[in-house]
Amino acid sequence: MTAVSPPLNSIGTAGPITLTLPPIPTMVRVGRLTASSVASLSDMTIDDIDDIKIAVSEMITVLIQSGSRTTITLRFETSATEFAVEASTPSPANDLGRNDLALAIAVLDAVADEHHVASTDDRIMIRIVKRLAPIPAGSSSTRS
Amino acid sequence: MEEVGKNESIRVLLDDGTVIAEGDIDLAGGPLLDAAINRVESVHPLVIDLAAVEFIDSSGLRSLLAASRRAESRGTRVVLRRPSSGVVRLLTITGTTEQFDVEEASQA
Repeated sequence: MTAVSPPLNSIGTAGPITLTLPPIPTMVRVGRLTASSVASLSDMTIDDIDDIKIAVSEMITVLIQSGSRTTITLRFETSATEFAVEASTPSPANDLGRNDLALAIAVLDAVADEHHVASTDDRIMIRIVKRLAPIPAGSSSTRS
Repeated sequence: MEEVGKNESIRVLLDDGTVIAEGDIDLAGGPLLDAAINRVESVHPLVIDLAAVEFIDSSGLRSLLAASRRAESRGTRVVLRRPSSGVVRLLTITGTTEQFDVEEASQA
């Protein structure tokens, strides 16, 4: 019998990376720095990693300010062409309108190629996608 | 120079009426910056030194915009001194640069 390993994505893991945080302000920084570390394993420029840090900070902040009382889950997923982050929280309050989303959305517009905010009766989810620029033929995968 | 607040995100100092922010202005750091601004905003104009700000997001920007609105109600404007590249970028992408008087952008 031959063992078959699952296919690895571009950051060398067999699946998404998940981080669970308590919904308190000091965790915004923890989420941001984790996002930076995960993104740095992918083929991203330093500017792109800075964009991911900003986006994740906005996502966690929106969820905390929406009234999250339990946990915030961050899910990082990458492929050869894109880096995606999904942040979600169970939120019975379901009150995205309580904070001023416009500024956060304006920031997500600028730093992400796609963003999506979804709110249901019991959950709020924000997803962003950053597309990865193709690496020129013959160049190293390390960018600056 | 007086340290008026410090936590995991930010260190805030006052120097002869100038508010100096060092570190990250986010959901955790913003309230300490607010407290320092509230102490000195009767000084005209309010000057906030942002050269050592390593990160700012929209929650931090809200602190600056709120100070700007209060300053306007007093007939003055907030001066952002030596804003770091991250601050300049956030002001640019949110279209809020004109809300402030910006002095001497740093290369940080």
